[in-house]
Amino acid sequence: MIKKNVILNFVGFLLILEGIFMLLGIPFSLYYGDNDVNVLFFTGISTSLIGLLLFLFTKNKDKEIRKREGYIVVSIGWIVTSLFGALPFVFHGSIPSYTDAFFETMSGFTTTGASILNNIEDLPHGLLFWRSVTQWLGGMGMIVLSLAILPILGIGGMQLFVAEVPGPTKDKLHPRVRETAMRLWGIYVMLTFTEALLLFAGGMTFFDSVCHSFTTMATGGFSTKQASIAYYQSPFIQYTIIFFMFAAGVNFTLHYHILHGRIANLKKNEEFKFYLSVIVFWTLFMTAVLFFSSYGSVESSFRDSLFQVVSMITTTGFVTADYETWGTLLLLVFFLFLFSGGCAGSTGGGIKIVRHLLLFKNSLQELRRLIHPRAVIPVRYNNHSVPQEIISNILAFFLFYIFIFILGSIIMASLGLDFMSAIGAVATSLGNVGPALGTVGPTDNFANIPDIGKWFLSFLMLLGRLELFTILVIFSPAFWKS
Amino acid sequence: MKIIIAGAGEVGYHLAKQLSNENHDITVIDIDNTSLDRVDSAMDVLTITGSSTSLKILKKANCEKTDLLVSVTSSESVNVNTAIIAKKLGATKTVARVENAEYVSTENQELFKSIGIDHLIYPEELAALELVKLIQRAAATDIIEFEDGKLSLIGLKLDANLPVIRQTIREIAHTIEEITFRVVAIHRGIRTIVPSGSDILLPNDQIFVITTHEGIEHIIKLVGKDQTKLNNIMFLGGGKIGRIAAKMLEGNINIKLIDSDMGKAVELADYLDKTLVIQGDGRDLDLLAQEGIIDMDGFVAVTHDAETNIITCLMAKHLGVTKTIALVDNVDYIPLTQTIGLDSLINKKLIAANNILKFIRKANIISIATLQGIDAEVMEYIAQPKSEVTKKQVKNLKFPPNAIIGGYIRNNQAYITVGDSQIEPNDKVVVFSLPGTIHKVEKFFQ
Repeated sequence: MIKKNVILNFVGFLLILEGIFMLLGIPFSLYYGDNDVNVLFFTGISTSLIGLLLFLFTKNKDKEIRKREGYIVVSIGWIVTSLFGALPFVFHGSIPSYTDAFFETMSGFTTTGASILNNIEDLPHGLLFWRSVTQWLGGMGMIVLSLAILPILGIGGMQLFVAEVPGPTKDKLHPRVRETAMRLWGIYVMLTFTEALLLFAGGMTFFDSVCHSFTTMATGGFSTKQASIAYYQSPFIQYTIIFFMFAAGVNFTLHYHILHGRIANLKKNEEFKFYLSVIVFWTLFMTAVLFFSSYGSVESSFRDSLFQVVSMITTTGFVTADYETWGTLLLLVFFLFLFSGGCAGSTGGGIKIVRHLLLFKNSLQELRRLIHPRAVIPVRYNNHSVPQEIISNILAFFLFYIFIFILGSIIMASLGLDFMSAIGAVATSLGNVGPALGTVGPTDNFANIPDIGKWFLSFLMLLGRLELFTILVIFSPAFWKS
Repeated sequence: MKIIIAGAGEVGYHLAKQLSNENHDITVIDIDNTSLDRVDSAMDVLTITGSSTSLKILKKANCEKTDLLVSVTSSESVNVNTAIIAKKLGATKTVARVENAEYVSTENQELFKSIGIDHLIYPEELAALELVKLIQRAAATDIIEFEDGKLSLIGLKLDANLPVIRQTIREIAHTIEEITFRVVAIHRGIRTIVPSGSDILLPNDQIFVITTHEGIEHIIKLVGKDQTKLNNIMFLGGGKIGRIAAKMLEGNINIKLIDSDMGKAVELADYLDKTLVIQGDGRDLDLLAQEGIIDMDGFVAVTHDAETNIITCLMAKHLGVTKTIALVDNVDYIPLTQTIGLDSLINKKLIAANNILKFIRKANIISIATLQGIDAEVMEYIAQPKSEVTKKQVKNLKFPPNAIIGGYIRNNQAYITVGDSQIEPNDKVVVFSLPGTIHKVEKFFQ
């Protein structure tokens, strides 16, 4: 039997937390004299109150979360917080359609960064801040944050952690999941704070530097400017953002080791090395292509290439240049980036570097296995052999991913999108990237997509953020058999 | 010396026999009566039935007055416990057999000394080291190194059509400008002889040569075995020995390792980076053929089963593999394997016993080894000042006929002994001797 009380109890706690975070934008609105103070205040308070009631009425001695409850809590938690998170936009009237508001919020929480707003600067500061906060919360995960805060959660914390932070590699930083969650959030907050300081020093306003560091560290990609980062032509600001996008795409466990002086871990980590080399290779490649097609100086070709490569590979989705004008070859590469993703354990979405790496290695080993049918040839990663179960899990993941991508593209095309836009919109949603191709390219937005399409893409974003299985498993018959 | 040996398995048995032959007072403890009966009937020792970790048993064995306790049961924790307790009860020195590379590393030596264990041995690792040496010097059947290889004793098989065949040792020596090696023993059929200048070499002889480092190439060329390097080796059996040896060799040599156990194969594939691990039965000729045994230079059989090792090595030899090495833990098989054509064999029990003997005779013997397959020992002595050996030239020493001084190391420089050589005090002297002469030899060095 699924324990409903345990699930509702946890969702209640998430809502309390969400309401509090909504209130945080109020000081900015007051400072700038915006008209969204009341809306934020009332939605924030009522969200927290509803959460509190839910939390108190379902209080139960039995707090144990088993595997099934874990998956449901995380799935429902994400959906409910997005449903509530959309309310301030609707109540204020800046996004009158609830569908649009939900799309925007889901795009925020899943750190996708796709927007339906035609003019972002029209939004009052409080709402802009809330928009950035959704990404920041979604980046490291609200559930992980709750695990760090909630002291009472006994057994089962790990089930939640695994459901929200999936991935083929498991590295706990501490024997207790609460301590692990605290350390991850600690690093996250620290990096965000550092970036905000640097951006402020580089000439951004205080408000913009906080918002941008929130959305960079979450690899989200929401900007407070319609032109995204292209608005800021300062190389310092752009390089700062590049660096932090890169850092956000690295496994946070590695950050933890580096902070503790264990630099050697970086050199030993195959995923990091692969991640770095992919970025270096494509940046140099694109710099050369751009420079020789007289795009600009070496520096500006390099900076725009680096920015766009890092932004797309880490699934952030900030934009400093319209890569759709860079020619078919590079456009194709950018399309493929939508499937790359950051490192496992980072805030980046997508398929993730480690999965590509292991799949590639496994395919090579398969050739050797054909020659030596009786040989035991494992896939080696970080000097250890990877168990076959993990390989088959990755294969299943990859297959599901591609299958969902194809099915999604067909659905979007049937809603009237052209070929480029359909495959781009689906790939970018599933990979939590943001910009795509065609009518939803880096300089466009998702406003013109039909309502059904927006709901569907929102679902894909959630599917991608929770790395497919957490959601898919709920739809499997085995899940509901006792 | 009063010595207690805990554990009457193969290592304990061999050790007890060796030491009791040298007039030490041996007490053997084992929980198994049958093993003790075997010991009782074969040698002159005292046996006690019981657990070696029992205080009562240890006291009964007169542990407080013993000079040395050697614990070589099959269980690592029993050995460690026995050594610690015995030390506390008053044993002067303790030795324990372990199964863990971490324990025997030099950095942890102090830790074990502080809890009461003076010396640890890990037979599987010692055997693996021996195996690696044999593979690296593929031409030799046996290799024992002294002083980091400045002098070595190597064993070589003689083929039929060599120029040295049917020549006397004196004649061979005349053809060489500088003497860099010396034949110290000839193993012919089942007999071992210490040769004089007039003995001749015959086909199928196995000769043992003491040589300097430079002499190795020389002697190998002389017996027609060029320094062929083994590039492709097939290992059979992924137990501890195979595992350690493969790990040490896999950087330079292509290794295929076959083990029949799936779980073990998976674990080995994780541990060994470059080795190709194959799951299957090594006695299956089809499998061996499929994995290209014909192209192999070496075949190493180190399963737990001596029979399997011998049979598969013979099979590999038959298929034309240059060098075969078998792990044969059954001492009774050793003389046999020499005659049916196996290249080399290793016996981890003999190796373990050698290591312990070396520790026991530390006084003025710095190194000792029992050769496998022939009943003989090689020892490295330090010539004490005023000892017999330093008084005359070697040819005038009246050294026992079944022993021979092969070479010596003076000021870090290795020399091969000739008739006119004069041993000086503090020289390190390598002596080859047949059993029963060790006592006579020892007198020359005290």
